[in-house]
Amino acid sequence: MTELLKTQGLSKTFGGLAAVSGVDLSVDEGEIHCLIGPNGAGKSTLFKLIMGTYPPSGGSITFRGIDVTEERPYQRVKKGLSIKMQTPSIFKELPVRQNIHIALQHHVSKQDLSREEDRLLAMLELSAEATKAAGVLSHGQQQWLEIGMALALKPALLLMDEPTAGMSPEETFRTGELILKLNEGGTTILVVEHDMTFVRQIAQRVTVLHFGKVFARGSIAEILADPRVAEIYLGKTHEH
Amino acid sequence: MLRLINGPQTVGNGRVFWICFFGVLAAALAYPMFADSYDVGNFAYFLIWVFMALGLCLMWGYCGMLSFGQTFFFGIAGYSYGVLAINFGGGGMTVLALVLAIGLAALSAVVLGYFMIWGRVGGVFFGIVTLSATLVLAFFLGQTAGPEWRIGDARLNGFNGMKGMDPLNVPWFEGETIYFEGSSLYYLAIALILVVYLALRMLLNSRFGNVIVAIREDPQRAELLGYDVRKYQLITFVIGSALAGLSGVLYTSWGQFITPSSVGLPAAAMPIVWVAFSGRGDITATLVGSFLILVTFQAITVHSQQAALVLMGGMLLATVMIAPQGFVIGVARLIGRLFARRGAGGA
Amino acid sequence: MLYQFADVFAFLILSAAGLAIVFGMMGVINMAHGEFIMCGAYVTVGLVHGGLPLPLAQLCGTLAAGFIGVLVEVAIVRKFYKRPLDSLLATWGLSLVVTQGMLILVGSSVAGIGTPPGSFMVGEYTFSVYRLVLFAGSLAALALIYVVFMRTRFGVHARATMQNAQMAQALGVRVGRVYALSFGLGAALAGFCGALYAPTMTLIPTMGATFVVESFVTVVVGGSNVLLGTAPAGVLLAAVRTALNAWAGQIIGQIGMLIAVIIIIRVLPEGISGFLTRRQR
Repeated sequence: MTELLKTQGLSKTFGGLAAVSGVDLSVDEGEIHCLIGPNGAGKSTLFKLIMGTYPPSGGSITFRGIDVTEERPYQRVKKGLSIKMQTPSIFKELPVRQNIHIALQHHVSKQDLSREEDRLLAMLELSAEATKAAGVLSHGQQQWLEIGMALALKPALLLMDEPTAGMSPEETFRTGELILKLNEGGTTILVVEHDMTFVRQIAQRVTVLHFGKVFARGSIAEILADPRVAEIYLGKTHEH
Repeated sequence: MLRLINGPQTVGNGRVFWICFFGVLAAALAYPMFADSYDVGNFAYFLIWVFMALGLCLMWGYCGMLSFGQTFFFGIAGYSYGVLAINFGGGGMTVLALVLAIGLAALSAVVLGYFMIWGRVGGVFFGIVTLSATLVLAFFLGQTAGPEWRIGDARLNGFNGMKGMDPLNVPWFEGETIYFEGSSLYYLAIALILVVYLALRMLLNSRFGNVIVAIREDPQRAELLGYDVRKYQLITFVIGSALAGLSGVLYTSWGQFITPSSVGLPAAAMPIVWVAFSGRGDITATLVGSFLILVTFQAITVHSQQAALVLMGGMLLATVMIAPQGFVIGVARLIGRLFARRGAGGA
Repeated sequence: MLYQFADVFAFLILSAAGLAIVFGMMGVINMAHGEFIMCGAYVTVGLVHGGLPLPLAQLCGTLAAGFIGVLVEVAIVRKFYKRPLDSLLATWGLSLVVTQGMLILVGSSVAGIGTPPGSFMVGEYTFSVYRLVLFAGSLAALALIYVVFMRTRFGVHARATMQNAQMAQALGVRVGRVYALSFGLGAALAGFCGALYAPTMTLIPTMGATFVVESFVTVVVGGSNVLLGTAPAGVLLAAVRTALNAWAGQIIGQIGMLIAVIIIIRVLPEGISGFLTRRQR
């Protein structure tokens, strides 16, 4: 298994607070890897470090064998990283189709563009909403639109920060199915999630973060069986 | 590529729109045959300012960068044209002066833009820094009254401004020269506006245009889609500022003078009033709206400059409070809806 | 030179204090700030011509500006919180209407009042006492702001609203009233500036413009906290301006200050107060 993404000793401090400390994370090509941990464990911060939105206070990030620690976000995206953020980060004032178009336009030839847009819209079940402003979509639809935009880049590694937040159980299940299908098509996916049912549905390997540090890692079966993991969630709801 | 003239970033893509467009164009071309030369020259004067408005619309309406620096680049290009035209001795060299002056404005835009954009100066602060730069230039030019302030043969002349440069002219066949004044300036302005307007439409509806609109909406998301946001912002800033430079050169050529009052306040505020009122979100609205405001402003200024400025202020206030996307856009959308209801294949 | 520094400092602080409160509190950029200064000045002069003693007239000028400020807030500014760009445009429009309207109504100049006499000598230099009054006024303004915001109940409400208006409202703070009073306070401080400077300047309706650019840049350099930002910004910019004035003359002083502003914004995008509060964390 080739290692697609590797972080070594990655840290981020804000003033006095160490949001992420010395995190070694490894994501293999072709897997679905879940990042879990209680609220405030540093998962979203870790994602922002990987994407380059925040510069790290220490450590390094290697993607596809290249050290990308110093690179700006758009450079990492060009290398094959893509992210779906925690709060839907789409172009709310622009029509749905144009959102997809902007994501696709440099990745697909001009002749195929229209067809690709249609295909993506169909996959996201948004064909009927294509001309509406993205902001009028329901929360779940907005999440899916953003997933679609992240996918349009044909990434090697797709990061998803709580993709099912605010979704109904049915939407959550469908999102899980979508992720599994994408993974069959060859996309490596790294997901931050709280919903343990969802994690069980999709995960292959799991890394657990707690207070900004790696607490445990292993296959989904191992993590589910680990009593310490259940303990750090104790007192917090982990089923939505 | 011509297909790009119509697209998502421009209001007015249907047949009705283009029929009206060509109607207006034909009327404009025929105008000098009916009107007297004073009026034609006056019209040309209005048209000169439109480039500055279009440039601001591009930067602000489409990319979200409010620049108070349009008059800064107007001044740089205008004064550069003067200096170059005077030193080159006028004649056909004025065309070279035009090109170099705009080039100089564009170059300064690259420098100032790089400083701001790579320095992560954004939002309101972008406006403040550009305003400061504009005021610095205005102050500086204002105190160049002494004879030691000269570039080559051209004296900067402080508040009185630089005078005496040749208007734009082009040597023509058989030893004749076309001087761009009066009717010929009018036609030149119309031609340039046509070219710039259509070129902007193509640019805005292209992939580039899609990206700058995305940047306006959510710069972080745009970057996370793989776009180097800073490069797009810089290019937009340079194009928008260069257009202001074009206005500057044409103005200097038209009046054969340029003064610091074209650079400082309240001149620096004017493009913003025009674009805000017209509707910064659309290039056609800005084109139409700016022209209308300029005509109205002059009509009132003849009676009372204070009243005209009161009106400008009131319009600005009313726009922001009532119709933030711009009055002209509001009216255009209304018309569009009327046509759609009649089923005439709307605009 | 210390005298000149104090003079420039006074000018910057007095003109910027009101603007800083409004910007820091409501995220509103009040381009009509100069007109409140003008209001304070005109009311003062009008009352002095009517027979009132100067200090009383100045007080009235200040209060008049504050009162009008409250009206403006309720009628116009209320719509533009946290929308700095729109508030900039709206208040600019208002400013144009007021200045040009005044020009139409009142004409371009009005008989002024003279600077109160009184000078003192230090070494071989003569200084005007009144300019020291101005400096004292600026310190008084800062002290007033400190007392109001840090030691009164209104101040606590105001600071809560600044941090989180919705929370403050949920806790029972009358947010609308806080905003109106704060804007009124900002306007009153502007009026105070105008009232103090009235005896030293010719009165024209566009006199606000003399103050606006510099108050503006002082606020921007300072950042959104009045005490942590505007005051140090005043010190810094006054120092730059005084030094350049002494070295190369008035115009270079003005240009130099603007260039300093450009550089400071580039280096400290949140102003001095933003920089200081970050350091604290």
